[in-house]
Amino acid sequence: MGDEEAPVFLALLANIGASFGASLGVDPQSGEVSLDAALVQSLLRQDVNAFEQLYDRHSRRVYTLVLRILQQAATAEEVVQDVFLQLWRNAAAYEAGRGPFVPWLLTLARNRALDHLRLKSERQRRREDQTDEMPPVVSAPEYEKELDERRRVERVRALMGGLLPQQKRAIELAYFEGLSHSEIAVKLKEPLGTVKSWIRNGLLRLKEGLQTPS
Amino acid sequence: MNIDMANGDQFRELIEAYALGALDPQQRASIEAHLATGCADCTKALDEARWVVSQLAYLAPEVQPSEMLRGRLLQTVRAEAHAAKPARPASAIPFWMWGAVAAVLLFTIYSSWETVQLNRTIQETNAKAQAEIAKRQELQEQFAIAQREAVILTDPRSIKIPLGTDNKQMPKMEAVWHAKLGIVVSGLNVPAPSGTLTLQLWLIPKTPGSKPIPSLTLRPDARGRFVLLVANPPDAIESTKALAITEEPAGGSAQPTTKPIWLGAIG
Repeated sequence: MGDEEAPVFLALLANIGASFGASLGVDPQSGEVSLDAALVQSLLRQDVNAFEQLYDRHSRRVYTLVLRILQQAATAEEVVQDVFLQLWRNAAAYEAGRGPFVPWLLTLARNRALDHLRLKSERQRRREDQTDEMPPVVSAPEYEKELDERRRVERVRALMGGLLPQQKRAIELAYFEGLSHSEIAVKLKEPLGTVKSWIRNGLLRLKEGLQTPS
Repeated sequence: MNIDMANGDQFRELIEAYALGALDPQQRASIEAHLATGCADCTKALDEARWVVSQLAYLAPEVQPSEMLRGRLLQTVRAEAHAAKPARPASAIPFWMWGAVAAVLLFTIYSSWETVQLNRTIQETNAKAQAEIAKRQELQEQFAIAQREAVILTDPRSIKIPLGTDNKQMPKMEAVWHAKLGIVVSGLNVPAPSGTLTLQLWLIPKTPGSKPIPSLTLRPDARGRFVLLVANPPDAIESTKALAITEEPAGGSAQPTTKPIWLGAIG
Protein backbone atom coordinates (compact mmCIF):
# COMPACT_ATOMS: atom_id res chain seq x y z
CA MET A 1 0.00 0.00 0.00
CA GLY A 2 1.37 3.38 -0.95
CA ASP A 3 2.02 6.00 1.71
CA GLU A 4 -0.59 8.33 0.29
CA GLU A 5 -3.29 5.65 0.58
CA ALA A 6 -2.86 4.81 4.24
CA PRO A 7 -4.95 7.53 5.91
CA VAL A 8 -7.79 7.13 3.45
CA PHE A 9 -7.65 3.40 3.87
CA LEU A 10 -7.82 3.52 7.63
CA ALA A 11 -10.80 5.82 7.45
CA LEU A 12 -12.46 3.56 4.96
CA LEU A 13 -11.91 0.47 7.07
CA ALA A 14 -13.42 2.23 10.04
CA ASN A 15 -16.50 2.94 7.97
CA ILE A 16 -16.73 -0.50 6.45
CA GLY A 17 -16.49 -2.47 9.68
CA ALA A 18 -14.74 -5.68 10.61
CA SER A 19 -17.22 -8.12 9.06
CA PHE A 20 -16.81 -6.53 5.65
CA GLY A 21 -13.02 -6.53 5.83
CA ALA A 22 -12.89 -10.32 5.73
CA SER A 23 -14.23 -10.38 2.17
CA LEU A 24 -11.78 -7.85 0.74
CA GLY A 25 -8.85 -8.63 -1.47
CA VAL A 26 -5.42 -8.96 0.04
CA ASP A 27 -2.33 -7.38 -1.37
CA PRO A 28 0.13 -10.14 -2.30
CA GLN A 29 3.09 -8.27 -0.88
CA SER A 30 1.87 -6.51 2.19
CA GLY A 31 -0.94 -8.84 3.13
CA GLU A 32 -3.14 -5.82 3.60
CA VAL A 33 -6.44 -5.01 2.06
CA SER A 34 -5.89 -2.39 -0.63
CA LEU A 35 -7.94 0.76 -0.85
CA ASP A 36 -8.76 0.04 -4.48
CA ALA A 37 -10.01 -3.42 -3.57
CA ALA A 38 -12.21 -1.94 -0.85
CA LEU A 39 -13.60 0.65 -3.21
CA VAL A 40 -14.34 -1.91 -5.92
CA GLN A 41 -16.05 -4.04 -3.31
CA SER A 42 -18.22 -1.04 -2.47
CA LEU A 43 -19.27 -0.77 -6.11
CA LEU A 44 -21.13 -4.05 -5.65
CA ARG A 45 -23.42 -2.13 -3.27
CA GLN A 46 -23.92 0.61 -5.87
CA ASP A 47 -21.78 3.00 -3.83
CA VAL A 48 -21.46 6.11 -5.99
CA ASN A 49 -18.92 7.69 -3.65
CA ALA A 50 -16.64 4.69 -4.06
CA PHE A 51 -16.94 5.00 -7.82
CA GLU A 52 -16.11 8.68 -7.61
CA GLN A 53 -12.98 7.91 -5.60
CA LEU A 54 -11.87 5.22 -8.02
CA TYR A 55 -12.40 7.55 -10.93
CA ASP A 56 -10.47 10.35 -9.31
CA ARG A 57 -7.61 8.01 -8.42
CA HIS A 58 -7.20 6.36 -11.83
CA SER A 59 -8.98 8.27 -14.59
CA ARG A 60 -5.89 10.28 -15.53
CA ARG A 61 -3.77 7.18 -16.05
CA VAL A 62 -6.54 5.37 -17.93
CA TYR A 63 -7.18 8.38 -20.16
CA THR A 64 -3.48 8.83 -20.80
CA LEU A 65 -3.20 5.26 -22.03
CA VAL A 66 -6.37 5.31 -24.12
CA LEU A 67 -5.48 8.64 -25.73
CA ARG A 68 -2.01 7.34 -26.59
CA ILE A 69 -3.62 4.42 -28.37
CA LEU A 70 -6.46 6.26 -30.12
CA GLN A 71 -4.76 9.63 -30.68
CA GLN A 72 -8.12 11.37 -30.64
CA ALA A 73 -9.43 13.05 -27.50
CA ALA A 74 -13.17 12.69 -28.10
CA THR A 75 -12.89 9.01 -28.97
CA ALA A 76 -10.55 8.46 -26.04
CA GLU A 77 -13.07 9.99 -23.63
CA GLU A 78 -15.77 7.79 -25.07
CA VAL A 79 -13.67 4.69 -24.45
CA VAL A 80 -12.69 5.83 -20.95
CA GLN A 81 -16.36 6.30 -20.20
CA ASP A 82 -17.05 2.77 -21.43
CA VAL A 83 -14.23 1.40 -19.27
CA PHE A 84 -15.45 3.02 -16.06
CA LEU A 85 -19.07 2.15 -16.75
CA GLN A 86 -17.97 -1.43 -17.31
CA LEU A 87 -16.21 -1.30 -13.96
CA TRP A 88 -19.34 0.17 -12.33
CA ARG A 89 -21.67 -2.39 -13.85
CA ASN A 90 -19.41 -5.41 -13.52
CA ALA A 91 -17.22 -4.72 -10.51
CA ALA A 92 -17.36 -8.40 -9.56
CA ALA A 93 -15.10 -9.13 -12.54
CA TYR A 94 -12.18 -7.79 -10.54
CA GLU A 95 -11.15 -10.51 -8.10
CA ALA A 96 -9.19 -8.56 -5.54
CA GLY A 97 -7.55 -11.61 -4.01
CA ARG A 98 -5.78 -12.48 -7.25
CA GLY A 99 -3.85 -9.29 -7.80
CA PRO A 100 -3.70 -5.51 -7.69
CA PHE A 101 -6.37 -3.37 -9.27
CA VAL A 102 -4.44 -0.88 -11.38
CA PRO A 103 -2.77 -3.31 -13.83
CA TRP A 104 -6.12 -4.99 -14.30
CA LEU A 105 -7.85 -1.68 -14.96
CA LEU A 106 -5.16 -0.58 -17.39
CA THR A 107 -5.35 -3.89 -19.24
CA LEU A 108 -9.10 -3.48 -19.49
CA ALA A 109 -8.64 0.05 -20.84
CA ARG A 110 -6.04 -1.03 -23.36
CA ASN A 111 -8.20 -3.88 -24.62
CA ARG A 112 -11.16 -1.54 -25.09
CA ALA A 113 -9.06 1.07 -26.85
CA LEU A 114 -7.51 -1.49 -29.20
CA ASP A 115 -10.96 -2.94 -29.89
CA HIS A 116 -12.06 0.53 -30.86
CA LEU A 117 -9.01 1.04 -33.01
CA ARG A 118 -9.38 -2.22 -34.89
CA LEU A 119 -13.05 -2.17 -35.59
CA LYS A 120 -14.09 -0.57 -38.80
CA SER A 121 -17.70 0.36 -38.27
CA GLU A 122 -19.65 1.81 -35.38
CA ARG A 123 -22.21 -0.92 -35.75
CA GLN A 124 -19.60 -3.61 -35.44
CA ARG A 125 -18.06 -1.87 -32.45
CA ARG A 126 -21.30 -1.82 -30.58
CA ARG A 127 -21.99 -5.46 -31.27
CA GLU A 128 -18.61 -6.52 -29.98
CA ASP A 129 -18.87 -4.29 -26.94
CA GLN A 130 -21.71 -6.43 -25.78
CA THR A 131 -19.58 -9.55 -25.75
CA ASP A 132 -16.31 -8.06 -24.49
CA GLU A 133 -14.64 -10.19 -21.92
CA MET A 134 -13.00 -8.71 -18.87
CA PRO A 135 -9.25 -9.28 -18.62
CA PRO A 136 -7.80 -11.67 -16.08
CA VAL A 137 -6.43 -10.23 -12.86
CA VAL A 138 -2.65 -10.48 -12.85
CA SER A 139 -0.89 -11.11 -9.59
CA ALA A 140 2.08 -8.91 -8.82
CA PRO A 141 5.37 -10.87 -9.05
CA GLU A 142 7.47 -11.42 -5.99
CA TYR A 143 10.04 -8.88 -7.07
CA GLU A 144 7.41 -6.17 -7.45
CA LYS A 145 7.56 -3.42 -4.87
CA GLU A 146 4.98 -0.88 -4.08
CA LEU A 147 5.97 2.26 -5.92
CA ASP A 148 4.11 5.46 -6.22
CA GLU A 149 3.06 6.29 -9.75
CA ARG A 150 5.76 8.89 -10.37
CA ARG A 151 8.56 6.46 -9.54
CA ARG A 152 6.90 3.70 -11.51
CA VAL A 153 6.72 5.92 -14.59
CA GLU A 154 10.35 6.94 -14.21
CA ARG A 155 11.49 3.36 -13.86
CA VAL A 156 9.55 1.97 -16.83
CA ARG A 157 10.63 4.82 -19.09
CA ALA A 158 14.23 4.43 -18.03
CA LEU A 159 14.19 0.70 -18.71
CA MET A 160 12.51 1.15 -22.08
CA GLY A 161 14.99 3.89 -22.92
CA GLY A 162 17.75 1.36 -22.40
CA LEU A 163 16.42 -0.93 -25.18
CA LEU A 164 17.49 -0.77 -28.76
CA PRO A 165 15.35 1.73 -30.62
CA GLN A 166 14.02 -1.02 -32.88
CA GLN A 167 13.08 -3.12 -29.87
CA LYS A 168 11.32 -0.24 -28.25
CA ARG A 169 9.54 0.68 -31.50
CA ALA A 170 8.37 -2.88 -32.09
CA ILE A 171 7.06 -3.23 -28.54
CA GLU A 172 5.25 0.12 -28.74
CA LEU A 173 3.64 -0.82 -32.07
CA ALA A 174 2.36 -4.00 -30.45
CA TYR A 175 1.26 -2.40 -27.22
CA PHE A 176 -0.18 0.92 -28.33
CA GLU A 177 -1.37 0.02 -31.84
CA GLY A 178 -2.24 -3.61 -31.28
CA LEU A 179 -0.18 -4.86 -34.23
CA SER A 180 0.81 -8.48 -34.53
CA HIS A 181 4.33 -9.76 -35.31
CA SER A 182 3.47 -9.97 -38.99
CA GLU A 183 1.96 -6.49 -39.13
CA ILE A 184 4.95 -4.98 -37.35
CA ALA A 185 7.33 -6.75 -39.73
CA VAL A 186 5.48 -5.26 -42.67
CA LYS A 187 5.34 -1.82 -41.12
CA LEU A 188 9.04 -1.78 -40.19
CA LYS A 189 10.05 -3.67 -43.33
CA GLU A 190 12.01 -6.13 -41.25
CA PRO A 191 12.04 -9.96 -41.28
CA LEU A 192 9.33 -11.58 -39.12
CA GLY A 193 11.86 -13.52 -37.07
CA THR A 194 13.77 -10.38 -36.28
CA VAL A 195 10.65 -8.65 -35.05
CA LYS A 196 9.76 -11.60 -32.84
CA SER A 197 13.24 -11.56 -31.33
CA TRP A 198 13.13 -7.81 -30.75
CA ILE A 199 9.88 -8.05 -28.93
CA ARG A 200 10.71 -11.08 -26.83
CA ASN A 201 14.17 -9.93 -25.89
CA GLY A 202 12.97 -6.44 -25.19
CA LEU A 203 10.26 -7.66 -22.82
CA LEU A 204 12.69 -10.01 -21.10
CA ARG A 205 15.09 -7.12 -20.54
CA LEU A 206 12.27 -5.03 -19.19
CA LYS A 207 11.38 -7.85 -16.83
CA GLU A 208 14.95 -8.12 -15.66
CA GLY A 209 15.07 -4.40 -15.08
CA LEU A 210 11.88 -4.49 -13.04
CA GLN A 211 13.32 -7.31 -10.96
CA THR A 212 16.42 -5.29 -10.18
CA PRO A 213 16.12 -3.10 -7.09
CA SER A 214 16.21 0.57 -8.10
CA MET B 1 8.67 -23.02 -35.13
CA ASN B 2 6.35 -26.02 -34.84
CA ILE B 3 3.79 -24.91 -32.44
CA ASP B 4 1.91 -28.17 -32.57
CA MET B 5 4.58 -29.84 -30.47
CA ALA B 6 3.37 -30.54 -26.97
CA ASN B 7 6.58 -29.17 -25.61
CA GLY B 8 6.26 -26.40 -23.04
CA ASP B 9 9.62 -24.88 -23.97
CA GLN B 10 8.38 -24.18 -27.45
CA PHE B 11 5.40 -22.29 -26.07
CA ARG B 12 7.49 -20.48 -23.51
CA GLU B 13 9.09 -18.54 -26.37
CA LEU B 14 5.69 -17.23 -27.33
CA ILE B 15 4.47 -16.30 -23.89
CA GLU B 16 5.69 -12.65 -23.92
CA ALA B 17 4.30 -12.00 -27.38
CA TYR B 18 1.02 -13.63 -26.35
CA ALA B 19 0.80 -11.43 -23.25
CA LEU B 20 1.49 -8.44 -25.47
CA GLY B 21 -1.20 -9.50 -27.95
CA ALA B 22 1.28 -9.63 -30.81
CA LEU B 23 0.72 -13.22 -31.92
CA ASP B 24 -0.98 -13.96 -35.17
CA PRO B 25 -4.32 -15.77 -34.84
CA GLN B 26 -2.98 -19.28 -35.50
CA GLN B 27 -0.21 -18.99 -32.91
CA ARG B 28 -2.59 -17.45 -30.43
CA ALA B 29 -5.03 -20.33 -30.82
CA SER B 30 -2.25 -22.87 -30.34
CA ILE B 31 -0.87 -21.34 -27.17
CA GLU B 32 -4.33 -20.95 -25.73
CA ALA B 33 -4.90 -24.63 -26.37
CA HIS B 34 -1.63 -25.40 -24.59
CA LEU B 35 -2.50 -23.19 -21.63
CA ALA B 36 -5.83 -24.98 -21.41
CA THR B 37 -3.90 -28.18 -20.62
CA GLY B 38 -2.90 -26.57 -17.31
CA CYS B 39 0.85 -26.24 -17.95
CA ALA B 40 2.01 -24.70 -14.66
CA ASP B 41 5.28 -23.30 -16.01
CA CYS B 42 3.63 -21.53 -18.92
CA THR B 43 0.81 -20.23 -16.70
CA LYS B 44 3.33 -18.77 -14.27
CA ALA B 45 5.39 -17.29 -17.10
CA LEU B 46 2.26 -15.79 -18.63
CA ASP B 47 1.31 -14.19 -15.33
CA GLU B 48 4.73 -12.57 -15.09
CA ALA B 49 4.67 -11.50 -18.74
CA ARG B 50 1.28 -9.92 -18.31
CA TRP B 51 2.61 -7.95 -15.38
CA VAL B 52 5.53 -6.68 -17.44
CA VAL B 53 3.23 -5.75 -20.31
CA SER B 54 0.91 -3.91 -17.93
CA GLN B 55 3.82 -1.67 -16.96
CA LEU B 56 4.07 -0.41 -20.55
CA ALA B 57 1.05 1.77 -19.88
CA TYR B 58 3.36 4.13 -17.99
CA LEU B 59 5.18 5.00 -21.21
CA ALA B 60 2.31 7.19 -22.37
CA PRO B 61 2.67 10.94 -21.74
CA GLU B 62 0.27 12.01 -19.06
CA VAL B 63 -2.88 13.86 -20.03
CA GLN B 64 -5.82 14.86 -17.86
CA PRO B 65 -9.33 13.99 -19.07
CA SER B 66 -11.91 16.76 -19.20
CA GLU B 67 -14.18 17.59 -16.29
CA MET B 68 -17.12 17.02 -18.63
CA LEU B 69 -16.22 13.36 -18.85
CA ARG B 70 -16.25 13.11 -15.06
CA GLY B 71 -19.60 14.90 -14.93
CA ARG B 72 -21.18 12.65 -17.56
CA LEU B 73 -19.94 9.50 -15.88
CA LEU B 74 -21.08 10.47 -12.42
CA GLN B 75 -24.46 11.53 -13.74
CA THR B 76 -24.90 8.15 -15.41
CA VAL B 77 -23.70 6.25 -12.36
CA ARG B 78 -25.93 8.20 -9.98
CA ALA B 79 -28.93 7.59 -12.22
CA GLU B 80 -28.21 3.86 -12.36
CA ALA B 81 -27.64 3.67 -8.61
CA HIS B 82 -30.92 5.48 -8.01
CA ALA B 83 -32.79 3.19 -10.40
CA ALA B 84 -31.27 0.12 -8.73
CA LYS B 85 -32.45 1.07 -5.23
CA PRO B 86 -35.07 -1.41 -4.02
CA ALA B 87 -38.53 -0.10 -3.29
CA ARG B 88 -38.96 0.81 0.38
CA PRO B 89 -41.20 -1.72 2.15
CA ALA B 90 -44.55 -0.48 3.39
CA SER B 91 -43.58 -1.08 7.03
CA ALA B 92 -40.58 1.20 6.72
CA ILE B 93 -42.61 4.40 6.73
CA PRO B 94 -40.48 6.97 8.53
CA PHE B 95 -41.66 8.63 11.72
CA TRP B 96 -42.03 11.99 10.09
CA MET B 97 -44.47 10.41 7.61
CA TRP B 98 -46.73 9.31 10.46
CA GLY B 99 -46.52 12.85 11.81
CA ALA B 100 -47.55 14.14 8.41
CA VAL B 101 -50.49 11.69 8.29
CA ALA B 102 -51.60 12.79 11.78
CA ALA B 103 -51.32 16.42 10.75
CA VAL B 104 -53.42 15.78 7.66
CA LEU B 105 -56.01 13.92 9.78
CA LEU B 106 -56.22 16.75 12.31
CA PHE B 107 -56.45 19.24 9.53
CA THR B 108 -59.28 17.25 7.93
CA ILE B 109 -61.22 17.10 11.22
CA TYR B 110 -60.64 20.77 11.84
CA SER B 111 -61.69 21.56 8.28
CA SER B 112 -64.89 19.53 8.69
CA TRP B 113 -65.73 21.28 11.97
CA GLU B 114 -64.88 24.58 10.37
CA THR B 115 -67.13 23.72 7.43
CA VAL B 116 -70.06 22.90 9.74
CA GLN B 117 -69.52 26.12 11.63
CA LEU B 118 -69.26 28.02 8.43
CA ASN B 119 -72.46 26.47 7.07
CA ARG B 120 -74.23 27.34 10.31
CA THR B 121 -72.98 30.88 10.13
CA ILE B 122 -74.05 31.09 6.50
CA GLN B 123 -77.54 29.81 7.39
CA GLU B 124 -77.85 32.29 10.25
CA THR B 125 -76.61 35.08 8.05
CA ASN B 126 -79.07 34.06 5.33
CA ALA B 127 -81.93 34.02 7.85
CA LYS B 128 -80.94 37.44 9.14
CA ALA B 129 -80.67 38.69 5.60
CA GLN B 130 -84.10 37.28 4.76
CA ALA B 131 -85.53 38.92 7.88
CA GLU B 132 -83.85 42.17 7.00
CA ILE B 133 -85.18 41.93 3.48
CA ALA B 134 -88.71 41.16 4.75
CA LYS B 135 -88.47 44.00 7.23
CA ARG B 136 -87.23 46.31 4.54
CA GLN B 137 -90.06 45.20 2.24
CA GLU B 138 -92.52 45.76 5.04
CA LEU B 139 -91.09 49.18 5.69
CA GLN B 140 -91.19 49.90 2.01
CA GLU B 141 -94.79 48.78 1.88
CA GLN B 142 -95.58 50.82 4.97
CA PHE B 143 -93.79 53.74 3.43
CA ALA B 144 -95.72 53.28 0.21
CA ILE B 145 -98.95 53.10 2.16
CA ALA B 146 -98.04 56.15 4.17
CA GLN B 147 -97.04 57.94 0.99
CA ARG B 148 -100.32 56.98 -0.64
CA GLU B 149 -102.27 57.94 2.43
CA ALA B 150 -100.45 61.28 2.51
CA VAL B 151 -101.34 61.94 -1.11
CA ILE B 152 -104.95 60.95 -0.52
CA LEU B 153 -105.17 63.14 2.53
CA THR B 154 -103.54 66.17 0.90
CA ASP B 155 -104.75 65.99 -2.66
CA PRO B 156 -107.37 68.73 -3.25
CA ARG B 157 -109.30 66.37 -5.49
CA SER B 158 -109.91 64.08 -2.54
CA ILE B 159 -113.30 64.25 -0.87
CA LYS B 160 -113.50 64.41 2.90
CA ILE B 161 -116.25 62.37 4.46
CA PRO B 162 -116.89 63.04 8.18
CA LEU B 163 -118.10 59.93 9.98
CA GLY B 164 -120.52 60.88 12.74
CA THR B 165 -121.95 58.72 15.49
CA ASP B 166 -125.02 58.72 17.73
CA ASN B 167 -122.95 57.36 20.63
CA LYS B 168 -121.68 60.34 22.49
CA GLN B 169 -118.93 58.26 24.08
CA MET B 170 -117.49 57.54 20.69
CA PRO B 171 -115.23 60.00 18.90
CA LYS B 172 -115.87 61.16 15.42
CA MET B 173 -113.89 59.70 12.52
CA GLU B 174 -113.03 60.92 9.09
CA ALA B 175 -112.68 59.31 5.71
CA VAL B 176 -110.96 60.86 2.70
CA TRP B 177 -111.71 59.36 -0.72
CA HIS B 178 -109.52 59.87 -3.76
CA ALA B 179 -111.14 58.66 -6.91
CA LYS B 180 -107.95 56.98 -8.11
CA LEU B 181 -105.90 56.22 -4.98
CA GLY B 182 -108.58 54.90 -2.62
CA ILE B 183 -110.01 55.70 0.78
CA VAL B 184 -108.21 56.59 3.99
CA VAL B 185 -110.19 56.19 7.21
CA SER B 186 -108.64 57.49 10.42
CA GLY B 187 -109.66 57.91 14.04
CA LEU B 188 -108.38 58.99 17.46
CA ASN B 189 -109.35 57.70 20.91
CA VAL B 190 -111.46 54.99 19.41
CA PRO B 191 -112.23 52.30 22.00
CA ALA B 192 -111.34 48.81 20.93
CA PRO B 193 -114.35 46.59 20.18
CA SER B 194 -115.13 44.11 22.93
CA GLY B 195 -113.86 40.54 22.74
CA THR B 196 -112.96 39.36 19.30
CA LEU B 197 -115.23 41.83 17.56
CA THR B 198 -113.76 44.08 14.93
CA LEU B 199 -114.77 47.24 13.12
CA GLN B 200 -115.68 46.92 9.43
CA LEU B 201 -116.07 49.58 6.74
CA TRP B 202 -119.09 49.45 4.40
CA LEU B 203 -119.91 51.27 1.18
CA ILE B 204 -123.60 52.20 0.86
CA PRO B 205 -124.51 52.31 -2.84
CA LYS B 206 -126.67 55.05 -4.33
CA THR B 207 -128.87 52.54 -6.07
CA PRO B 208 -132.04 52.18 -4.07
CA GLY B 209 -132.50 48.77 -2.46
CA SER B 210 -128.84 47.82 -2.92
CA LYS B 211 -127.12 46.12 -0.02
CA PRO B 212 -124.07 47.62 1.69
CA ILE B 213 -120.81 46.53 0.09
CA PRO B 214 -118.28 45.11 2.59
CA SER B 215 -114.81 46.57 2.76
CA LEU B 216 -111.82 46.13 5.09
CA THR B 217 -111.87 45.50 8.81
CA LEU B 218 -109.88 47.53 11.30
CA ARG B 219 -108.88 47.64 14.95
CA PRO B 220 -107.49 50.73 16.73
CA ASP B 221 -104.18 50.40 18.56
CA ALA B 222 -103.74 50.52 22.34
CA ARG B 223 -104.14 54.26 22.34
CA GLY B 224 -107.25 54.18 20.16
CA ARG B 225 -105.60 55.34 16.98
CA PHE B 226 -105.95 53.84 13.55
CA VAL B 227 -105.43 54.72 9.91
CA LEU B 228 -107.00 52.40 7.35
CA LEU B 229 -106.15 52.53 3.67
CA VAL B 230 -108.58 51.00 1.25
CA ALA B 231 -106.44 51.04 -1.88
CA ASN B 232 -109.07 49.39 -4.06
CA PRO B 233 -112.54 50.30 -2.93
CA PRO B 234 -115.18 47.75 -4.00
CA ASP B 235 -117.19 50.45 -5.73
CA ALA B 236 -116.64 53.87 -7.31
CA ILE B 237 -117.17 57.05 -5.38
CA GLU B 238 -119.78 58.20 -7.91
CA SER B 239 -121.84 55.11 -7.19
CA THR B 240 -121.53 55.37 -3.43
CA LYS B 241 -123.94 57.30 -1.29
CA ALA B 242 -122.32 56.92 2.11
CA LEU B 243 -119.67 55.08 4.23
CA ALA B 244 -120.55 53.20 7.41
CA ILE B 245 -118.60 51.35 10.15
CA THR B 246 -120.12 48.55 12.17
CA GLU B 247 -118.94 46.11 14.77
CA GLU B 248 -118.62 42.64 13.27
CA PRO B 249 -117.26 39.27 14.29
CA ALA B 250 -113.51 38.69 13.76
CA GLY B 251 -112.67 38.49 10.07
CA GLY B 252 -115.59 40.66 9.04
CA SER B 253 -118.94 39.86 7.54
CA ALA B 254 -120.47 39.73 4.09
CA GLN B 255 -123.47 41.69 5.32
CA PRO B 256 -123.71 43.99 8.36
CA THR B 257 -124.81 42.12 11.47
CA THR B 258 -125.14 45.28 13.60
CA LYS B 259 -126.30 48.82 13.13
CA PRO B 260 -123.63 51.33 12.01
CA ILE B 261 -121.78 53.10 14.80
CA TRP B 262 -120.28 55.66 12.39
CA LEU B 263 -121.94 56.93 9.24
CA GLY B 264 -120.92 59.61 6.75
CA ALA B 265 -122.65 60.75 3.57
CA ILE B 266 -120.68 61.54 0.46
CA GLY B 267 -121.15 64.94 -1.04
